[in-house]
Amino acid sequence: MIVSIKPVRPGKTDVRIATIQQVTTDYPRHVLAGRKWTRCSRSAAGSDCAVSCRTSTIRWILAAAAGGVTGLSQVGSDWARALHRLWSAAVVIDSREQLAALVLPPLQELPGVRAVWGLRHGPDGVTAYRWRGLPLTAERRALAESLAPQAPGPARVIELRGHEFTRVVAVRFEEPGQAAGTILVAVGAAADAGFVADCLTQVIEVTQEAVRRLAVVRAEQDQQVRDALLAEASLQMDAVLDAEQTMYRVPRMAVPAIAEGCLVFIDDDGGKPVLRGAVHVDMRRLDAMLRDPAAVQLLAEPGEHRLELRTRGRVIGRLVFLFDRPPDRIPPTAFLRDLTARAALAIDNSTLYEQRRQEVIRMQQHLLPTRLPRVAGLSVAASYTVGDRVLEVGGDFYDVVVRDDGAVAALIGDVCGRGVDAAALTGMARHTLATLLQEGVSPRRALTRLNERLRLDGSWRFITVGVALLRPDRDGFAVQWTSAGHPAPVVLRTGADARRGAGGGVPVGVLDSPVFASSRLRLRAGDTLLMFTDGLTESRDGTGTMFEQAGLTTALDRLRDVPVQTLVDDLSESAQAADDIALLAVRACDGR
Amino acid sequence: MGVDLVLVVEDTDEDIEAIGRAIGRSHPDTRLEFLRSGPQVLPRLRRRPLPQVVLLDLNMPGEGGLDVIKQVRAVPGLAGVRLVVFTSSESQAEAEACYAAGADSYVYKPINFALFRSVLSRTLDYWENVTQTVVPPPGDSVAQA
Repeated sequence: MIVSIKPVRPGKTDVRIATIQQVTTDYPRHVLAGRKWTRCSRSAAGSDCAVSCRTSTIRWILAAAAGGVTGLSQVGSDWARALHRLWSAAVVIDSREQLAALVLPPLQELPGVRAVWGLRHGPDGVTAYRWRGLPLTAERRALAESLAPQAPGPARVIELRGHEFTRVVAVRFEEPGQAAGTILVAVGAAADAGFVADCLTQVIEVTQEAVRRLAVVRAEQDQQVRDALLAEASLQMDAVLDAEQTMYRVPRMAVPAIAEGCLVFIDDDGGKPVLRGAVHVDMRRLDAMLRDPAAVQLLAEPGEHRLELRTRGRVIGRLVFLFDRPPDRIPPTAFLRDLTARAALAIDNSTLYEQRRQEVIRMQQHLLPTRLPRVAGLSVAASYTVGDRVLEVGGDFYDVVVRDDGAVAALIGDVCGRGVDAAALTGMARHTLATLLQEGVSPRRALTRLNERLRLDGSWRFITVGVALLRPDRDGFAVQWTSAGHPAPVVLRTGADARRGAGGGVPVGVLDSPVFASSRLRLRAGDTLLMFTDGLTESRDGTGTMFEQAGLTTALDRLRDVPVQTLVDDLSESAQAADDIALLAVRACDGR
Repeated sequence: MGVDLVLVVEDTDEDIEAIGRAIGRSHPDTRLEFLRSGPQVLPRLRRRPLPQVVLLDLNMPGEGGLDVIKQVRAVPGLAGVRLVVFTSSESQAEAEACYAAGADSYVYKPINFALFRSVLSRTLDYWENVTQTVVPPPGDSVAQA
C-alpha cells in the first residue's frame, strides 16, 4: 500500500510504502536495492520505508503493485502492469538471448508502435539483431544502425520521412564489461512519442538491471564450469598411467568447454616440440591447419594462450589453447595456467611410469635367454608378458638346453616376489639349472644343488621350478617331468582334448631336504608340451574369475594346432595379465 | 544461419532430460526433437525442416551412433547437417572411427551438469557461427591461439 508519493527534486520522487515486507515481496530485493529504498519509521503495523528513484519508474511500478494510482489512463494502467511483469521476469532469465524476447514485446504493444528493434554492439559493429513488428531486413538494419545513438543518454525522438513510420525513439545503454545495446522504437504519426520515450526509458532500466544481474550469474556459472572442469580433468588424468592416453585426455577434457581447440606439444630429447595430442570441436578444420608444418611450428612457439607444461622444475612441453569465441568468453589466464600445471604433472607422471616400465621390460629380457636352441624333431617357442601394472622386475624364467647325449631339458621357474633381489635370484637360478642340466646332471640333482645354494645363502625366497627332460622315443619323445611346487604342464594332443600333467613337490629353497614330484609323459608327433607360470592360470577377468577356470580350456582348444609361437603369444594375450606370465611350448614334429 | 533445430538421438531418459534442460537454458530459441534409436534418424532426415545439428549418443542398443553417421553421410543432400557425437567414451580409436565416418564433432559428455551445459552450449555456438564447413587452406586458419 502506498502511503505517499512526494517529489524531492525534479526527476526524483520518494514513495512511502507501508512495510518493508511489501517492497521485498513485490519486487525482488536487487530491483529496489539500486533504488536506495530506506527504512523511515517503525509503527505498530511494521516498518515504513521509502523508495527513491527516477520518477518515471517508481510511478509505474508502484502503481501496478498498489492496484493503480489515480489519474492513470487505461493505456497507462496496462503499461504499469506490463512493467511490473517485466521487473518480475527480468530477475529469472538465464541468458541475454532471453532478454530481447522479454523487453521488446511490451513496447510493441504500445499504441502506434510499428516496430521495436534491439541491437547488441560489439567492438567491430553490431553482433546481434532482434526485433518485434517490422523485421530488421538488411535495409532496415542499415537504417537502425545509422539511427542508433553513439553514446548512452536520454531517449531521443528522431523524425523520419519516407518510411512506414514517422519517428524513431532510440536509447543506447552501456554496462561496464558488457556488450552495449540500443533499443529503437519506430512509431506512426498518431503515436504519443513522449509517452513511448517514457516507456522506453523504463524498459532500458529493466534491461540494464537484467544485464548487470546476468553478468553476475554468468560469472558464477563460469566459475562453476571451471571448478567442475578442474575436478573432472584431475579425475580423468589420474585414472590412467598411459602417457599417450593422458596426452589425449587433457585436450579432450578442455574442448569445447573452455576452448575450441587444444594441442599438446612435448619436447623430445633434443628439446624439439613434438605434437602428441590434438583435439578440436571441428577436427577437420584442425587437421587442415596441422597439415601445414609452418602452422604447427608456429603453434609450438611461445605466444598468447600457449602455456608451458612445467613440472618438477623443468619444462616438458607446451599446452596450446585455440579460441574461436568472443574475448569475454575466453577463460582467465590464471585458470588456463592451473589446468596446464595439472596436465603437466599428469603427463610427466605417466611418462615416467612408461619409462620405468620400459626399463623393467628391458631388464626382464636380460634375465631370459636371447634365443632358444634349434632341436631336431622339436619346435620350441617361449613368451614373456610383463604384468599390466608392474613396475618391478619379476622372477619368472625359462630356458631350453640340449645335452651331449641328445636329450633336451626344458625348464621353467618362478622366484617369489619382485624387484632387484628377486631379479638377482632369477638370473642365478636359471644359469645354475641350465648349466647343470646341460652338463648331464639329472633334473632332481640339479634342483637339489639349487636348493642347497639357497639354504646356504639363508635366502627366505623360494622358487617353483618345473623341468621337462625329453628323450627321443620311437616317433615322438618320452618326457620326464620333475616339479618343485610348480603348476602342472598341459599336453595338447592332435585330435584330442588337452590333458593336464602332474604338479606336486615343494618349491626350492623351502626345505633342507627338498621334495620333488616326478611323472612321465609322452609326446607323439604333433603333440605339444605347454609349460607356464601361475601368472597365466591365476590371471583374472573383470568379474574376478581366474583364467584357469574361465578361459584356459577354450583358448587351448582354439590354439591346439597353430604354430607354437602363435600358441604362446595368443595364450598370453588371452589372459588379462596382472602378474607376469612365462610360457614355454615344445612340440614334437611330424616325420622325425 | 543459427541453430534453429537440433535433433537429439539418445536412448537414456536421464540424458534426454539433461540435454533438454541444458540447451533450453543456453539456447532458448533452439527447438529440440528427440529420437530414441538410430534407425529412426534417416527417415526423420528425409522430412523438412532439416535440423542444423544432430546430437548423437554413440552407444545405443541395436544400430549405434557410428552406423547412423555412415548412413547420413551416404546421402549427399544431408552434407550440411552437422553430426555431433556426444559421448563419455575415452577411446581415441572410437573418436577416429567417428571422424572417418563423417562426424563433425566428437565431444566429451561430462558428469557435472554445469560442465555438461557448457559443453553443449559451446558446441552449438561453434556450429552456429560456422555457416558452412570452413576448411581453410594450409596456414590460413581463423582459429586464434
